[in-house]
Amino acid sequence: MLNRRDFLKAGAGLALAAALPVRAASGAGHVVIIGGGVGGATAAKYLKLYNPALRVTVIEANRTYLRPYGSSEVLTGHVSMDDLVVSYDALKSKYGVDFVFDTVVGFDPAKKQVRTAGRQRIAYDKLIVSPGISLQYQAIPGYSAAVAETRAPSGWIPGSQTALLTQQLKAMRPGGSFVIVAPPNPYRCPPGPYERAALVTEWMRKHNPTGKVLILDPKDSFVTDATMQLGWHRLYGYNIPNDYLSDMPAGVKNSGKPSPIDWVRAMDGGTTEKIDARTLTVTTKQGAVKADVLNIIPPMKAGKLAFDMGLTDASGWCPVDRRSFESSVHPDVFVIGDASIADAMPKSGFSANNQAKVTARAVVAQLAGRVPGEPVWSNTCYALAGSDYGLFVADVFRLKDGKIARVPGERYLPIDASPAKIRLAAAYQQAWLKTFTEDCFA
Amino acid sequence: MGTLMKASLFVLAALAAASTHAAEPAGEAMAATCAACHGTHGKLGTVEYMPLAGMAEKEFVRAMQDFRSGKRLSTLMGHVANGFSDNEIRAMARYFATVK
Amino acid sequence: MSRFPLLSGLILALSLAQSAVASSVPPAPRTPSVADVRGTLAAMPRGDVQRGKQLNQSLMCASCHGEAGVAPTQNWASLAGQRAAYTYKSLLDYQTGGRHENPRATLMQVAVKGMSRQDMADVAAYYASLPAMATAAPKLDAAAHARTDRLARRGDPARLLTPCASCHGAAGQGGVNETPALAGQSVGSFVRTMQDYREGRRVTDANRGMRQFAERLTMEEIRALAAYYAGMGKK
Repeated sequence: MLNRRDFLKAGAGLALAAALPVRAASGAGHVVIIGGGVGGATAAKYLKLYNPALRVTVIEANRTYLRPYGSSEVLTGHVSMDDLVVSYDALKSKYGVDFVFDTVVGFDPAKKQVRTAGRQRIAYDKLIVSPGISLQYQAIPGYSAAVAETRAPSGWIPGSQTALLTQQLKAMRPGGSFVIVAPPNPYRCPPGPYERAALVTEWMRKHNPTGKVLILDPKDSFVTDATMQLGWHRLYGYNIPNDYLSDMPAGVKNSGKPSPIDWVRAMDGGTTEKIDARTLTVTTKQGAVKADVLNIIPPMKAGKLAFDMGLTDASGWCPVDRRSFESSVHPDVFVIGDASIADAMPKSGFSANNQAKVTARAVVAQLAGRVPGEPVWSNTCYALAGSDYGLFVADVFRLKDGKIARVPGERYLPIDASPAKIRLAAAYQQAWLKTFTEDCFA
Repeated sequence: MGTLMKASLFVLAALAAASTHAAEPAGEAMAATCAACHGTHGKLGTVEYMPLAGMAEKEFVRAMQDFRSGKRLSTLMGHVANGFSDNEIRAMARYFATVK
Repeated sequence: MSRFPLLSGLILALSLAQSAVASSVPPAPRTPSVADVRGTLAAMPRGDVQRGKQLNQSLMCASCHGEAGVAPTQNWASLAGQRAAYTYKSLLDYQTGGRHENPRATLMQVAVKGMSRQDMADVAAYYASLPAMATAAPKLDAAAHARTDRLARRGDPARLLTPCASCHGAAGQGGVNETPALAGQSVGSFVRTMQDYREGRRVTDANRGMRQFAERLTMEEIRALAAYYAGMGKK
């Protein structure tokens, strides 16, 4: 693989390369988008909505998209892998977005060109990069991409690992342990690992009633932790830790009996030190845990392309102007979605979708020589503690002193929410999967 | 002129108007944060959420204010409405009212 | 108390079994007969209006249907002044899976989970106690109004259409043959409902009664009737 210097060189050497002619920008401007996930797709669509005269080209490696949001439902058979597939047809036919199904191997920020593996040189007026995340398998001693593909899947970027994890869960011996190693902050989809744990626990009550789910966490808390744990308590008899009990509605009491789901926090020794892929053993600060199925969600950084293009900083994420998400490193290049440093905004699909719109607006304004208007973003994510048990986090974000900050106020499902509200939230979660996909891709 | 073109031109006009308001996002910009649930431009087929396209201004304003105050029950709309001032709610209402 | 025909007893047993089981597969919907409907309704508990008012809040009904049964938007039906028997049967139909016409019905199926038949009778009684409110509708010109009024009150023998009013009442108050009130219903809800019948998505009408009407009326007539009934009720 090219290192970063070679990557940039490959772009700079374009003038000498015998390649296809550089495409000139059209009258209104040519915006190139790298990445056809939630961020890139939404940006493409909204650019066309804001100015249909723009030429918009998406460079994406895969011909269809596998949606990560809601993908934990494949594990429990609620949906199939096929249900995760999203087509790019609507973006092409309805909005006139051009697609180049290829990977980017060269980048020349001075000439404003990118080069693909298929030897296309594509010039841009503005470039939006939405590269997602890269899973840092090697950050956990004993773990690797190879281990994730064959033995202890991550399934945090959907694909064969998701399918493998599903198979493993089905084949798990009665009374076996499904162990989830949760990631450190920041990571994609804050409630995600805990929703996965919940849905697996629910599934096991029917299919493997003596099975157990154990979360080993390098953290002590997570977004939606109070409401999620209350859901686990009500549905699976989970024992709520002492420091959360005071948040709970009156009358909530632990039975003290062992529960099929447990959460080992950092303060209780839940941080992973290493794993043994052969025996599926996790060594934590607390001791060794032997899993029957081991789902490791490793630390994350920006997608590899962001590093190759020089868009990251020492944190491993991409610094951007908070108003427009223009890269702090390269002008006329914008980074959106999980890869960007967006302060209080969580790394979620909803955030990527909102950032894409703000950035599209900024790009259109810049191309027209105007100052874009004041930005605003929101993130409203439903999550499940069970198929009929919904909860959520809902925030609106504004610029405050140069950073993106939450508008203060309540953000979670009320801890004393009624059963009707909880059931309704679960129904809305399912509806959201559909409407969200449409807003991004159709 | 196709619907897409009309909608796009409208939004473009709204964007042009937006640049005069420094601290308050444009109605369309705020409304775009709603689309992930309520549909692009507030247009939805038969789904469990409320379509917003073409909603009468008074109806939108009343709904958001009632959500914000808790007078109207909701799962998370109360929290969302809390993120917007009355002026901003009116701006969003004006935007949605004009979507065909 | 009237006797239970065997068939309606079976339907009731199914309903009870349904409400007791959280998420089982509902029986395939079948068009009920008039006797089925009468039997179901004969078993309706007496409803408590005050309890129904509380349930309207605690079960989140008010979120879509309004505090006083007037829906804040045309996306959801208004229920103020609705006949208790009709509301009760509708809720049961959602619980048994008989009503499944679109994702709004899916939402209702979720909403009625865990509702007992007493709960249903209580909210039904609450809505019935509220006045139907006339609501916004496109204005029908004099000729269109006359035509629509004739259709509603005299029907159209050429198409075997008996008058709407013969079941739904001259003031849209419903009641004959357990039909719903139509006064003050939003145009959006009315038209959608008729379309659901017309296109076979809604099949809980006894003996296909409403489907026959919906199939024979034109969409223009349906929209005019929607405006006509929307204007009935308290101004």
